[in-house]
Amino acid sequence: MTFSAPFMTILVYGALIWCAISAIALGSILVRDIMRGEAW
Amino acid sequence: MMHESSAILPPTVGWALLAAFSVLWIALGFYWGRRNKNFEDHALAGRNIGLALGSATAAATWITSNTTMLAPQFALQLGVWGMLAYSTAAFGLILFAPMAARIRKLMPEGYTSGDFFRLRYGRVSWAIFLVFTLFYSLTWLVSMAMAGGIMLNALSGIPYGWGMSVILGVCVLYTMRGGLAAVIGTDFIQSLIIIVGIVIVGFAVLSHVSMEEIHGNLSAERPALLDVLFPAAIMAIFNNMLFGLGEVFHNNVWWSRAFAFRKGVGPKAFALGGLIWFPVPIAAGFIALASGALDVPIPASDMVGPLVISEVLGEAGAIAIFVIVFCSLASSIDSLLAATSDLVTEDIYRRMIRPAASQHNLKTVAQYVTLGLGVLTWAVCLPRIGTLATVLFFAGPLVGAMIWPIVTGLYWRRANSAGAVGGMLIGAGVGLACYFAIGWYVATLIATAVSMIWVLACASFSKSRYDWANLKESA
Repeated sequence: MTFSAPFMTILVYGALIWCAISAIALGSILVRDIMRGEAW
Repeated sequence: MMHESSAILPPTVGWALLAAFSVLWIALGFYWGRRNKNFEDHALAGRNIGLALGSATAAATWITSNTTMLAPQFALQLGVWGMLAYSTAAFGLILFAPMAARIRKLMPEGYTSGDFFRLRYGRVSWAIFLVFTLFYSLTWLVSMAMAGGIMLNALSGIPYGWGMSVILGVCVLYTMRGGLAAVIGTDFIQSLIIIVGIVIVGFAVLSHVSMEEIHGNLSAERPALLDVLFPAAIMAIFNNMLFGLGEVFHNNVWWSRAFAFRKGVGPKAFALGGLIWFPVPIAAGFIALASGALDVPIPASDMVGPLVISEVLGEAGAIAIFVIVFCSLASSIDSLLAATSDLVTEDIYRRMIRPAASQHNLKTVAQYVTLGLGVLTWAVCLPRIGTLATVLFFAGPLVGAMIWPIVTGLYWRRANSAGAVGGMLIGAGVGLACYFAIGWYVATLIATAVSMIWVLACASFSKSRYDWANLKESA
């Protein structure tokens, strides 16, 4: 039994998109924290 | 040693990048260090870190040079399971999330993981913990600094000694001056650079070769890498996951953050940090699987990521990988320097040598300890011993044996010193015996299992019930 091409496609594109969303989320949360005076 | 001609980037470009980022980190460290008035500010950034900085520092510290360089190597050797096995280390951060809330609640004025062992289990257990954790932390620190010199040399031809000295010196300077605030602030920028860099490089590689082509090449040339039942890779999952759990649960790198995050932020920040980290080994690792389809020769498996990227994307790709690796190294070295220096200052200097030390005095001592750790690491790294990866695996049983004493100690009143001392010593002893008799890939698993049996047996026969109020020691 082997990993299929569609599985690998979902895995890799999913990971890259997940990373991109993480970066956007981190930036957005920092802006929100700064606006509230809660960054640190 | 790699010569300039075989490096993927000209040394002048490497030096320029190194200089630019060094100046940036040191300037930020000095700027943020102005806030620190005492040891609590220096070691714990005033215990007021918010969600964005908290999540980023959890993710960035866990993204070491191993994540960006070893994940491709894992994929090349263990296939699809290799990438997934590496990703399971994220569970360490995710499972630490509820523990961070518990730690903050039980020890509102705690400083280090050593404080927990001293107050919860007594001095014998505390001493064993300090030996284990200092051995592990120093080994990790030395391996990171050494990896820094080796990678900067391989990527740009910068001589090993110079690359290692610069990256270590820069981290020592800004950590000494800025403490945890500087570490966390720079971690945020470094985490964004690493994640965005990996996304850009990943999509750029996929614009040159499709996943169908990669899969087709692997099916024809290396079908084992696609095998769902690849035994060595499945063993690596358990070993990697337990190593990750043991590392996060015991190390002061993570405990100091649990103390530093604002009340209520810790659980969310660690969970979010784990989720941010989870896809990184897959996004960085798949590049290695593309090497065959792209027809890139791989003379050394530990350089597979940079070689594929520079082959496909040219000098721009080589610059991207240089920056990603530099940020990965700095974000881990600074955290280790800060957390280990706090552990030495709080657990050895304050608790054993000078209990009446003032906050100002402790801050000064912590700065000198950071400098001392830097000098010690530099002296060990200079001869370029190439066997530290083995030593780091050797530490696996030590960290695995600490998982159960910590978890039961945080949640069970009946967990006791005999369980903690025996769990750490017997678990680590049996794990190390298996390391030599069988192999590294079972050592952590066996150490954790033996420690678990001993700790649970001692807890079940225990008649004592710990008073949680004893953990609320005033600073």
